[in-house]
Amino acid sequence: MTALGTDTEPQAAESLLVWEPIDAARLLAAVADDAAGANVLFTGTTRGVTDGVRTSRLAYEAHEPLARAQLARLRDEAIAHYALTACVVSHRLGEVAVGETSVAIATSAPHRRAAFAAAEWLMERIKSEVPIWKCEEAVDGVRTWIHPDSPPQGNTAANHANQDGAA
Amino acid sequence: MHEPLLSDHAATPADLVRISLFAGMAAAIGSRSLEVAWEGGTAAALRSRLIAEHPTLAPLLARSAVAIGDAYVTDDAVVPPGADVAIIPPVSGG
Repeated sequence: MTALGTDTEPQAAESLLVWEPIDAARLLAAVADDAAGANVLFTGTTRGVTDGVRTSRLAYEAHEPLARAQLARLRDEAIAHYALTACVVSHRLGEVAVGETSVAIATSAPHRRAAFAAAEWLMERIKSEVPIWKCEEAVDGVRTWIHPDSPPQGNTAANHANQDGAA
Repeated sequence: MHEPLLSDHAATPADLVRISLFAGMAAAIGSRSLEVAWEGGTAAALRSRLIAEHPTLAPLLARSAVAIGDAYVTDDAVVPPGADVAIIPPVSGG
């Protein structure tokens, strides 16, 4: 993607699913291009309080082959639909401490509107379609897997707003 | 959408289907996978079989999608014996 010597780095900028902390700056660098006049980086971070309940830990799991396939498909759709110069997506799995990044999206485009809109669209689709699940552990030790009320393939992420632990 | 996966899963006896469970569904029965006797049929029929054998899964199963391999399938898709099936409850990434 870029001349950053990425071959020697343990985490490629484009990794769709990662078990290590996400280096968001690397995603932003990966979409840089002379044809792009706008670069957008979105990071979703784990919240410490949801609906008044303090969360001590969050963990994510995925159907990994299906999640990778869906993330790649959505990224490619975003590039095509918004005429992006480049786009990279990364979602973290496993335990994610409060305040750390659970998902990151970087987009670049000739002009800003497409770059912003594509990042927003991708985030909505990821939250409603990609088979990744969040488990919240409250300070009292109670663990809860989050399954929003809408069906998994619906594009109605707004309905999930009260149950999001991140982003 | 639906792909026959028989040739990729010779280790699974042909009269069974292996079902992967995730998140709250795995927690509900204390296991990440199940094998059920399966002579073949639609994804909808497989849902009914699962509910009959594991009633505690019913509430989430009603709101779940079905995948074979790395593709979602519709309820009228045929699930062949030996297929690698995953039940996908409502997602919460992000």
